[in-house]
Formats: sequence, structure tokens, C-alpha cells
Amino acid sequence: MAETYPSLAQCAIVAAAFKILLFPAYKSTDFEVHRNWLAITHSLPLWDWYYEKSSEWTLDYPPFFAYFEWIMSQVAKLADPAMLRMYNLEYDSWQTVYFQRLSVIATELVLVYALQMFVDSSHGTSKRAAQAAAISILLSPGLLIIDHIHFQYNGCMYGILIASLVLARKRSTLLLSGLVFGALLCMKHIYLYLAPAYFVFLLRTYCLSPKSIFRIQFLNCLKLGGGIAAIFGTAFGPFALKGQIPQILSRLFPFSRGLCHAYWAPNVWAMYSFIDRVLIVLAPRIGLSVKAGALQSVTRGLVGDTAFAVLPDITPRLCFALTLLFQAIPLVRLFLVPTWDNFIGAVTLCGYASFLFSWHVHEKAILLVIIPFSLIALKDRRYLGAFRPLAVAGHVSLFPLLFTPAEFPIKTIYTVFWLVLFLMAFDQLAPASRRARFFLFDRFSTLYITVSIPLILYCSLVHGVVFGKSYEFLPLMFTSSYSAIGVVGSWLGFMVVSFTS
Amino acid sequence: MAGPSPSPHKPRRKAKRAVNGESSLSTGRQPSARTPSFPLESFLWPARGSVSQWELLPLILMVAGLFRWAAGLWGYSGFEKPPLFGDYEAQRHWMEITTNLPISQWYFHDLQWWGLDYPPLTAYHSWLCGKIGSLIDPSWFALYASRGLHSPALKIFMRATVVVSEYLIYVPAVVVFVRRFSRLSGVPTWTASVALVAILMQPATILIDHVHFQYNTVMLGFVVSSISSMLAGRYLWSAVFFVGALGFKQMALYYAFSVFAYLLGRCAFPVNIPRLVAVGAVTAVSFAILLLPLIVGTLNDVRRGIDARPDLKGHRPPLPLFADLAGNLDTGAFYYPVVEQLVQMVHRVFPFARGLFEDKVANFWCALNVVVKLRKYPSNLLQRGALFATFASIVPPNLILFFRPRKLLLPLAFATTAWGFFLFSYQVHEKSVLLPLMPMTLLLAGGQGLGKNTRAWVGFANILGCWTMFPLLQRVDLKVPYTVLTLLWAYLLGLPPTSLSAYFQEGSSIWSQWATAFIHGSFYLAIALWHVFEAAVTPPPDKPDLWVVINVGLGAGGFFLCYLWCLGSLVLESGILPKSWGSKRDKTKMQ
Repeated sequence: MAETYPSLAQCAIVAAAFKILLFPAYKSTDFEVHRNWLAITHSLPLWDWYYEKSSEWTLDYPPFFAYFEWIMSQVAKLADPAMLRMYNLEYDSWQTVYFQRLSVIATELVLVYALQMFVDSSHGTSKRAAQAAAISILLSPGLLIIDHIHFQYNGCMYGILIASLVLARKRSTLLLSGLVFGALLCMKHIYLYLAPAYFVFLLRTYCLSPKSIFRIQFLNCLKLGGGIAAIFGTAFGPFALKGQIPQILSRLFPFSRGLCHAYWAPNVWAMYSFIDRVLIVLAPRIGLSVKAGALQSVTRGLVGDTAFAVLPDITPRLCFALTLLFQAIPLVRLFLVPTWDNFIGAVTLCGYASFLFSWHVHEKAILLVIIPFSLIALKDRRYLGAFRPLAVAGHVSLFPLLFTPAEFPIKTIYTVFWLVLFLMAFDQLAPASRRARFFLFDRFSTLYITVSIPLILYCSLVHGVVFGKSYEFLPLMFTSSYSAIGVVGSWLGFMVVSFTS
Repeated sequence: MAGPSPSPHKPRRKAKRAVNGESSLSTGRQPSARTPSFPLESFLWPARGSVSQWELLPLILMVAGLFRWAAGLWGYSGFEKPPLFGDYEAQRHWMEITTNLPISQWYFHDLQWWGLDYPPLTAYHSWLCGKIGSLIDPSWFALYASRGLHSPALKIFMRATVVVSEYLIYVPAVVVFVRRFSRLSGVPTWTASVALVAILMQPATILIDHVHFQYNTVMLGFVVSSISSMLAGRYLWSAVFFVGALGFKQMALYYAFSVFAYLLGRCAFPVNIPRLVAVGAVTAVSFAILLLPLIVGTLNDVRRGIDARPDLKGHRPPLPLFADLAGNLDTGAFYYPVVEQLVQMVHRVFPFARGLFEDKVANFWCALNVVVKLRKYPSNLLQRGALFATFASIVPPNLILFFRPRKLLLPLAFATTAWGFFLFSYQVHEKSVLLPLMPMTLLLAGGQGLGKNTRAWVGFANILGCWTMFPLLQRVDLKVPYTVLTLLWAYLLGLPPTSLSAYFQEGSSIWSQWATAFIHGSFYLAIALWHVFEAAVTPPPDKPDLWVVINVGLGAGGFFLCYLWCLGSLVLESGILPKSWGSKRDKTKMQ
């Protein structure tokens, strides 16, 4: 098969040029968060990292990420030492911006490398599809908005995740895949959501004999267990020696936060909140009682406990139970049929379940679903059918992250460009399925995608003209409810597809 | 806009013809090339064959728009640089005066603060933008109070006006031009799309319009429309569009001789007197329509008792130009204010009183000034010298165009003429290099346009052009967008410093290959070294402008080579040379 064009490297070069042009763009508080972490890791001894709290942006990522910041701070010294000073809060000299923005672009090379691994691991007719999927991840509007404008280091970490997923494709590198994922968990604990799929897959394919699930491969268990222990030891060991683990855990898992984030991530709870809000209006007519105390907080949705006025409140325990339940369903299947495709499907479904049902989900977590799904979206047309509404909803739901007018054309035109380009390309590349597709599902997804156009227009233009500054929550609520329908719809679609194929 | 070309879906048939024709595809002489020859082709590679251009075009336009908008996030000319700020303030100020003052005062108002010095279409455009902007936020264009305003929201609005104006005029014009020109040259649709991206991503226009801030693409768009109307054989439209270009920016005069020569040639071979009369009449009527708002507005203001120059308290100064004309005119006549208005407009638009060159610009005079101090000569002599040199440089291409008014020669003739003006004329600004670059870059859409030789020369001119504007951009801290956009374009087209793939094409004379590669190579090397020195070494105190002077000298030399190449290509393509001669010099151009 001939080489496919354009290559990943070519795309990465042009994308990097675009990202450099975006240097002066809006940057969120995450920019200051990461600058502060550079300062903390550079100026303080290891033992103080997780206790320092002079800035409100305390270090709340696991130790490997802190080490990563420490390494970067060694380079940052050369760019502008002032950014590394403690208490130099909100410091953003041009050198600091250049350095931090460039560091995102440079660490994203991990992603490029991992995607190349993915393309190289595919063979035959699916190679072109793999290339297209890889490019779609590399150019993802999600990564552009979150990493290169809003500011974070997801590109690097999803690179590690993809590398780990690809390593799981071959029996010989299964161990490595597990270890890489372990290391990733020590960088950012959000990937714990995907851990159940890894656990089941590695248990079945690596720790148990392929022939019988009752024959345990002890040597493999030892290797995997020892390796993971060594990685966690490297990460948390130094802190454990000083008895700092409880402090770190309290930083990593702040349970005091509310059910929904300030802006509702498009999940089941967003729909629940939306219904609650509609019921506030309807309640008097159908004779339901409205809790007066909840009314105040409902119109905001700030971080903190979200109180519902009509519907029963949701407890963290319920969220946890639902998440586990919906993660367990695909995991049973994965345990029975442990193929790589099923593994990726299970990872995706774990991502879905945690995104849809977890406590205090952030909208950025949608990448946890989109990126693994992209790897198998081109398996056949039915998969693509489930992927389509997710691609639209997931990216549209990220729009509220950028609210400044200068970035409005960038986020919308880039996302529209990406959707048009890749949905068109995927359409050509995805092979037909052997099974019949669901007629209505495709129609619904087309209708759903069409609705996004008036929605974006309303939220960005019409609302401002008609209402000015009042009812600011309306566009946000519409966006998140709309996106929630798409994400939930694609989740249901994907569940059906993966259980019937 | 000119109507769409007759049949948008023909190209596939043409593509087949091109295969066995002489004009081979960009992808090498073998139409079935298996690999892209430069990165831009790779990016469009999946779109070969199956994808219709109607799917491709929106994607191309979105990408071009994204890069423009992202580049616009950077600073602009005069940002927080009091007292006068820069081009951005000039454009904003024109929106301020046109929306706030009666039309008869536009060309007279406080000339020290960015007095209006562009032709009326720019003024009308400013008025429109100013009106729309005032709806959003009246403080942006409040008279006097808004001078030097730098609010971020205003910047977004101003950037948006540039992008919207470009997408309404320049972009459609280029799309139509590329379609027509590539079809005439027998270039397949897909290759034309590659050329379209290359033209739209041209770094110089993005840097000057979207970063540094101006509306050159509006004028350039009118010129491209004019050329593509010529391609379609719509001579009257071509005249209308060209008047539009002239009415927007007097700089379009660089092309005027070529427009004139081509249209005249078309009326002369074979003789077609009605067409000549029609073109003349349409031109005159277009000019009249262009000036009509100014004239009617002035008369109306006089009727309402509004003085064009309230600062003079009724005292009438003599006309700034044509002083003897005033002697024969009755200053009290009803038409006198109109005459005064038009003379003032011409006076503002053509600043004859200024020097031979304003700043450091990479043209012949400024380069010569390094060796011979031109200021010691009387300005009269210099003006005449400039006039003569310009004339000498533009006569050959325009004579060719007049005697051989062929469609395919248009971009080359326009480019040669504009290079002549840029190199030798009076009062050239470094940004004027956009004018010769535009038609030269359009060559990419022609037969062999993406072949190595043309690509190498067009790329050379563009990268050199961006480089000569570096001092201008650096003054407002625009090094990063300069570097990114220039290198990106060089990368996409496979040009140095990113690749040498545009050189050494098999099948052409080894000497010409080496000559081109050597000349270009030494220029690229010099540019690279210049950047290193400029960044690392401060010039000696007695020569503070050393780097700029070197930039100007090298730039002028390189541009002169571009002029010669365009002229040489024009001579060869026009077929006015005897065959034997042509084949001998074939090496310098064909391959």
C-alpha cells in the first residue's frame, strides 16, 4: 500500500504554525495555575509541594506531573527566571507566554509520536482510515481549544494514553502498555476513570491464560504487579516516607465540590438539572412542591452543592454506583471477548459512563471519550454513526470555555472546518457494516447536527442582541442541554453497536 | 463581481487534454505522479479526483480565514506608540472623520493628524465601516475624543472589517481568476486548487493587511477582478473594476499601463472602434460615478452653508495645484467649491511635493543612494530621472502586451510593469511590493505554474518581499508572525530554507538550473545571515541603519532579478522572438 498523504509530521508542522500564531490569544486561569506550579516545584523542596497554598491554585495533580513541571522549570529558568518566583502571582511577561505556550506545543510531540505508532500498528486497508483518524486527533478542536488557547497539557497526556492503548495491540507489549498507563495515572488522575477497562483487559489477556480463565500466569502477574508498584513507588514513595499521602489525596480528590461544575458538562446531570428547571415553571400547574431554598442556587449553578427545586437531590454515592454499573456492563463483555477493538470500545464506554454519571465532571473530560472513540470510529459505518453526534456535541460543548470575542471566530470556524473535513473524509473511509444499520438513528443524527447551526448562532449572536447581559445562563444551559442529548444519544448508539457486533 | 464563468464543471475534460498537451501538470511531467512534490500538494492529496471543488473550496476558505484571524491576534502598526500611532490609527481616524464630518470637509480636515490621502472609494469604505462600528460602540469613532484609541474590542472590529472586505472582494476575485486562468492554461482543477491555497496563503498580504493593518487586498481584489474580466473577454467590466481599484488606492496606477495596453491592443488587433469607444465611455462614466458622492455632497454642503474649511473663517486659500487655473476661474461661481474639492483630493492623493523616496525601501533609488548621495541633486532632475527610468522599464512589457494582447500573458505583463514602477518610480513605499507580488503570485495558477521553475521564482520574490518588510514589521514587534507565516508558506511550497525541491528539475539545461539555484541560494543564504547578524550584532554607532541599508540593497538587487525574469518569461511566452532564438533561451524560463 502506498504511503498516504498528508503525513502526520506535515500536519503537525502546519498545526504548530497555527498554534504559534495563537500565542497572544485568550488564556484562562489555568495558565496561571501552571505558572504557579512551575514556581512551586522550582522554588520549594519536594516536601512542601503539596502543602504550599499561598496561591489559590494549589498543586492538585499527582507527583509525576509535578516532576514534569520541575523539569520544565529547569528550561524556564533560561526564558524568564521571574516566572519561577513564588508569590509572583498572575505574572505573564511575553517570555512567560512564549515559554509556556511553546512547552505545550513541544510536549504535544508525544501525541504525534503515539499517533504515528497507531498508524504503523494498523495494516492493510484500514491503514488509510487509521491515518485519517490519527490526523483527526492531532488536529482535534478539543485539544486546540483546551490546550492551545485555554491552556493545559492534554496533548502530551493523551499522547501517553494513545501510546499505551497501541501497545496493548500486540501481546509482546502488553506489559509495557500497563506500565505506561500506570505512569499516566501518576501524572493525571482523571485517567482513573479508564482504569477498570485496563484492569479487566490486562487481567484477562496478560494475567490469565488465553486458553482458560482458570489458569493464572503467575510470572506475568508478578511482572505487572511489581512494575506498577515500582511506578507508584517512584511517584508517591518520597511523599509516603514523610507521611504526606493523606494530604496529597485531599488535594487530588476534593470531594467538597458540587454535582455539576460551574458550567454544566453535557452529561446526564445536565439533563436532570434542565428538567428540574423546566419543572420549576410547570410545578405549580401539575401540583408538585418546589423547595424554596433551592431556587436561589438553581439560577446560578456555581461550584458548590447543586440543589434541585423539584426533583430529588443526587448524592455522590448514587453517582458512583451509576458510574460503576455502566462501566461494568462493557467490562463483562471485554472479559469474555478480550480483543483489542473490544478493549478500545470498553475504554470508550468507561469514559462515557464516568463522563455521564460522575460527580462534578468537567466539560474538558469529554476528550476522555472522543479520543479513544476516534481510534475505532472508522471500524465500520455503524461505529461512525455513533461517533458523529459525539463529535458535534463534544466539541460544541467546549465553546463556553472561550467566551472572548477575539477567539469566537477561531473556535467556531476551526470546529466547523474540522467537522466538515473529517466527517466527510470518515464517510468515505468507513467500510460498510455487515449488519444492517438503524435507519432512524442516522436520520436523528443528521437532524441533530443540523440543529447545532441555529444553536451556535443563538448562543453567540442572537442572545446578546435580544437580551444583552441578562439571562446569561440561558445560552450556557441550551448549549449544555443540547450537547448532553448528543453525548447521551451517541452513548446509547455506541452501546447498541458494540453489543450487537 | 463578474458573473461566474460559463461552465464550472468542465475541468475534468480539460484535465485529460492537458495530459497529452505540452502544458504538463504540476505533479511532474507524468500525469500519474505517485507522490506529491511539495507539502501543499500532500495536504490536498486526498482530494484528488473524487472530491469536488465545491467541497474543497469552503475548506480552503476556512483555513485561509483562520490563519488570517489568528495572525490578527498580534499587534498592529502603531499599537501604543504615541504621538501619531500608525496605519491602524490612520484607517480608524478616517472612519472617525467620514462618519462625523460633512463630506466636503473630508479632504481638508486637520491634515496633520492622518489627513485623508486616499481616493474617494477608500473614504466611502471608511464611512461604511465607521457607520457599522458606531452602531456597536459610538465611542470608537467619536470625533476628536477617539484619537489613538486602542481598546481590544475596537481592534477586533477593525480586524473584522479587513477580513470581511477581503472576503467580499479579494477572495472571490482570486477564486474566479484561478478558475479561469487555470482552465485557459489547461491546468486540472485539483492543481488549480493547490495554486489557490498558495495564492491565498501568500505571507506578504496577510502580514501587511491582517497584521500590520491596511486594506490593500480591496484594491488588489479589484485589480484581480479586472484581470479575470479580461480573461473572460468582458472588457467593459474590466475597465469598471480597474476604476474601482484606482478609486480605492492610487497605487493601482502601477498596473494602469498594462490595463491600458491590453485593452488598447484588444481594440487594435483587429481594429474594433466601437469597443474602444465603449471602454473609454465606461471608464469615464465609472470615474464620474466614483466622484459623484463627493461632488453632490460638496454642492449640498455649500447650499446648506457648510464651509469645507471652517478653520480658515471664510478666507479662500489658492488651489494647492494648478495655481494658474484659479486665475481663469471665478472663485464665486457655483462650481468653484467642486473644483476646489477635486483639486484638493488630487493634491492629497498624489503628494508631488515629497522626496524621491520616503523611508528605506528596496528600490533602485534607495539602493543607489547608498553609493551616491542623491539628495545633493536638484529634485527636479531626480524626478525627471525617475520618470525616465520608470518609463524605460515599463515600455517593453507593455509594448509586448499591446502587440500581443493574449490572455495568458496578462499576469506576467502586470508583474513586469509593477516591478518597473516599484523599482524605478517616485515615492515608493516598502509595502508597495505587494503590487508586483500579486500578479507574479497569480502565475502559480497557470500552466507550469507549480512546476519547479515558476515556483522557485515566485517563491523567491515573495520571500524576498517579506524580508524587505521585516524592518517595518519589527518596529512593531511582529517578528513572530513574520517568521511563522513566511516559513509556513516556504514550507508549503517546498522552498528554501525548508527544502530545495524547487530546484534541479530534470529535463532542462544544467546551466540554467545551476544559475537559478546559485542566484537564489546566495540570496537565501544572505537573508539567513542577515537575520543572524541583525539579531546578534548592534550596528556601529556611526552607521545605525546598517542592517536596513543592507536589506534595501539586497532587496533591490533581488527584485531587479525578478523584474528581469518576468520580462524574460514574457518575451518568451509572447512568441515575438524567432523560434531559433527562443529555444536557445528556453533554459531561462520554460523548465
